[in-house]
Amino acid sequence: MNTLSSLVSLLVFPAGLTLIFTGMFYEWIDRKLVARFQNRVGPRWFQPFADMVKLFAKEQITPGLANPFLFFGLPVIAIAGALTAALYVPLMGLEPVHSFPGDLIVTIYLLSLLTMCIGLAGWNTSSRFSLVGATRALTQMFAYEAPFLLSLLGPALAAGSWQISEINQYAASHWIALSQPIGFVVALIGLMGKLELPPFDSPEAETEIVAGALTDYSGRGLAIFKLGKSIELIVGITLVSAFYLGGLNGLLPFVLKTLAVLLLMAVLQSLLTRLRIDQTVGLWWRFGAILVLVQILIIIFLRGASL
Amino acid sequence: MNIDHDPLWVKVAKKVRTWARLNSLWAVHFNSGSCNGCDIEILATLTPRYDVERFGIKLEGSPRHADVLIVTGPVTRQARERLIRTYEQMPEPKFVISVGSCSISGGVFEGCYNVGGAVDEVIPVDVFIPGCPPRPEAIVDGIIQLITHLEKGNPPPSQSKQAAEKAPA
Amino acid sequence: MKNIEQDLKKAEELLTGWNREASHPETNRLDIVVTVDDLRPAVTALHDAKWGYLSAITGLDLGVEAGQMEALYHFCNGPAITTLRIRQPRGDVSRLPTIEDIIPPATFFEREMHEMLGFHFTGARSSDRLFISDDWPEGVYPMRADFKVEQAQAVEDRRADEMPEEGVIGGNTFVVPIGPQHPALKEPGHFEFTVDGEVVTAARMRLGYAHRGIEKAAESRNWIQNLYLFERVCGICSHVHTMAYAMGVEKLAQVEVPMRAQAIRQIVAGLERLHSHLLWLGVAAHEAGFDTLFMYSWRDRETVMNLLEQVTGNRVNYSANVLGGVKCDIGLEQARLIKEGLNFLETRIRHYLEVVTTDAMFLNRTRNVGTITYDEAERFGLLGPTARASGLVRDVRIEAPYGAYSQFPISAVTETNGDLEARCVVRLNELLVSCFAIRTLLDNLPDGPLTTRMPRKIPAGETISRVEAPRGELFYYIKSAGGETPARVHVRTPSLCNWVSVLEKAVGRQLADVPMLIAGMDPCFSCNDRLVTVAQPAGRRTWSWKELREYGIEYYK
Repeated sequence: MNTLSSLVSLLVFPAGLTLIFTGMFYEWIDRKLVARFQNRVGPRWFQPFADMVKLFAKEQITPGLANPFLFFGLPVIAIAGALTAALYVPLMGLEPVHSFPGDLIVTIYLLSLLTMCIGLAGWNTSSRFSLVGATRALTQMFAYEAPFLLSLLGPALAAGSWQISEINQYAASHWIALSQPIGFVVALIGLMGKLELPPFDSPEAETEIVAGALTDYSGRGLAIFKLGKSIELIVGITLVSAFYLGGLNGLLPFVLKTLAVLLLMAVLQSLLTRLRIDQTVGLWWRFGAILVLVQILIIIFLRGASL
Repeated sequence: MNIDHDPLWVKVAKKVRTWARLNSLWAVHFNSGSCNGCDIEILATLTPRYDVERFGIKLEGSPRHADVLIVTGPVTRQARERLIRTYEQMPEPKFVISVGSCSISGGVFEGCYNVGGAVDEVIPVDVFIPGCPPRPEAIVDGIIQLITHLEKGNPPPSQSKQAAEKAPA
Repeated sequence: MKNIEQDLKKAEELLTGWNREASHPETNRLDIVVTVDDLRPAVTALHDAKWGYLSAITGLDLGVEAGQMEALYHFCNGPAITTLRIRQPRGDVSRLPTIEDIIPPATFFEREMHEMLGFHFTGARSSDRLFISDDWPEGVYPMRADFKVEQAQAVEDRRADEMPEEGVIGGNTFVVPIGPQHPALKEPGHFEFTVDGEVVTAARMRLGYAHRGIEKAAESRNWIQNLYLFERVCGICSHVHTMAYAMGVEKLAQVEVPMRAQAIRQIVAGLERLHSHLLWLGVAAHEAGFDTLFMYSWRDRETVMNLLEQVTGNRVNYSANVLGGVKCDIGLEQARLIKEGLNFLETRIRHYLEVVTTDAMFLNRTRNVGTITYDEAERFGLLGPTARASGLVRDVRIEAPYGAYSQFPISAVTETNGDLEARCVVRLNELLVSCFAIRTLLDNLPDGPLTTRMPRKIPAGETISRVEAPRGELFYYIKSAGGETPARVHVRTPSLCNWVSVLEKAVGRQLADVPMLIAGMDPCFSCNDRLVTVAQPAGRRTWSWKELREYGIEYYK
């Protein structure tokens, strides 16, 4: 019985199919918003869905130099990681399906799995563009990962717990974005870096390295990676809004708060010019990491003073 | 291969597949020696006034991601090989759109020593969009014509043309 | 006019030692015959005295009976042009000394001469194919008078530009190819950037994917047909190409074009500059990853396209020019529409000017990137906005005003920094000047007819016609033998001279800057389609993938 309900929650609701469709819907909102900011009409509401079905129905070409086992396996691992991560966050404003003390760290590392897989996939296909793309994806990961983690630690320290559901409860009574503004900004921008959205899209900078690590993926493999990204979009947004925007309790706050974060990200995407990879790394380590560290020190100090 | 004999779910699946294909055409652009006129008009279709993303059409960089190859210009000797290779890199099903007079017949460059002639002498072409250069509206119209043609269940024009050539008289 | 005489006199004095035969084919031109041995000293003399700049080298095949070929080295100094003429016997024995060590951009011209006409340049560094296809047979030269298409049967063995499957050079270093099909290039060109990690250590380029053989085709079409052929050299600056051609032919036929036609030509050229630079701004923003600016500038560009359509009836290849005048008139209603459009565009251009100079993220990618100093610009022989961004005024409209520019002069726009930001600013400021110029022309549109009669046969002679295209000086050399078709038309487009700015500046920069550098000079492959140049690091060796793996395993043991 327990296994069955776990399977249902993994594959159908709230993770699994529901999550995939929500992910595609949010991807559409993102694309539509960016298009509107660029003075265009933008795609129709079913666009990401049509893209997915089409990609699944397309021929998949395996490059001659690639290891076929890795070539097919990596997208599956990537999406599995993203789906598992979804079980630990308050999706749709519900309690997380699974919860244990310290699940915050697990979730963050499950989310990094996607980037790792993309990097490995780029290395595996060994086309020149995907090699550069893979190097950049992994370099960028090392740049944003630590500040992003630190920015999520802020609320965790404030709540005095490393469990996502508890932090969510704590956040419901405290708007942490107001008390920890630096953390919120870093978390938001870190999420954009994680999702390789502009201006952090240099791992897939079209004008330099075509499509980066995924240049040689076609059909199913590409579709799964893209799905993984839309799932990660949802999970990431959920995490950030649960921590910083007053917690997620119920469907309506979930929709409103995640959409607000998405809107912010879409604005930033259309306003900013792509950063070079060296600029990205510089930005994170020179500003992002240090600012969050300062903030965390302040929290620790204040908590110590109040105890 | 009679569709009528398929069970219902196969029919539905095929319908959905066709619908998805037609509503999500990702294009890759190849300039095989064009004067630029067509290329900037193709680019213009992406921009606010025309915005083909409305129809799910997107310009992709990698031929591996693309469904449609948009070729402009007469095929020069140097570009010929690359054109074939780009076409071969694309996964099935794939379509080719030849944009501009000179990609259809060589146009004003007909007879130049470095020009090999029309695109359809090199790779099979589904839609020809004439004009020097065609207006962005014409390019959008050409793509829509391809979509409506396929929507009716017709085979891609390039395949039917090949079939007609192969069929015994 | 006095200036021209003085300049030409000075050139004649400079060249006295090597002057075999001097003539003045036109008032602004000096034609001096020199021998092969005297070429290098003569070029050095002009170069050292800073008498103008080498604008183009034209190769001519005088035909089988004459048994001779000619090489013409054109130096331009304001409106004055000095041509060094060298005669060589036809065949495989035509040798010329290279001057690329004296004037670096001459490499491009020499490579072209070699491939098109079979001149051999002694001492030249590179002998790679530039714009003739790889399967072209050796020893066949398309611009020779006796060339036949059958001679150019494909040969299979030459595949110079093929990237070996293992493009890895060793360590962190490998080759990133850009093109011919690549999202950064809307037109085909092929670049190979050797990168060490993210830093570019060498650059190589191969053009010719858009080489169609227009100059040869021009010799078999009549004067009027050629107008439409040259319009299609380039779809972005189609008007200036026909303008340069038409002005040259009119000069040969000694036909005076009515003032109204000249003014309308200038108005269309101004609109073309607007559309070209706005297009460029969008492409540059796209290369930098700032798609919103791309979308906005292209949206506003549609206003210009509307105006062009309003005036000429077409969006891209407008065919506004005919020999002896223009095809279309500008009435009061059109003038009003153009002015309205310009009002809108001016506010938008001012806005973009603010964006490119204040947007911190965009400046990250443009400020101090690819900086070219004044001296470098002069040495590389840069033209157009690329040169003007470095403070070097190379603008035919100012140096040698033609057509309506002699009556409606424009002011020069320059910047001094020479980086990508300066190039953005120069181009946008130029648009403001263009808007002003168009408005002045519309207010003072002279009355009169639109065309004059042109003879069907153009009297024998040769002439040089220079026009400022959006990308820089466009150079046409036109020779007539008195028939219905031209004997030779040589086109030198500005992009050809500006390539150096990319190849020299890419080395040492980040890979991410390369598309910006390419965009920075606003290249036009279909215009020039020629050349290659190499900046190779020492000790290059090609590693196979297998070798590299073994090396990697060894290294990390």
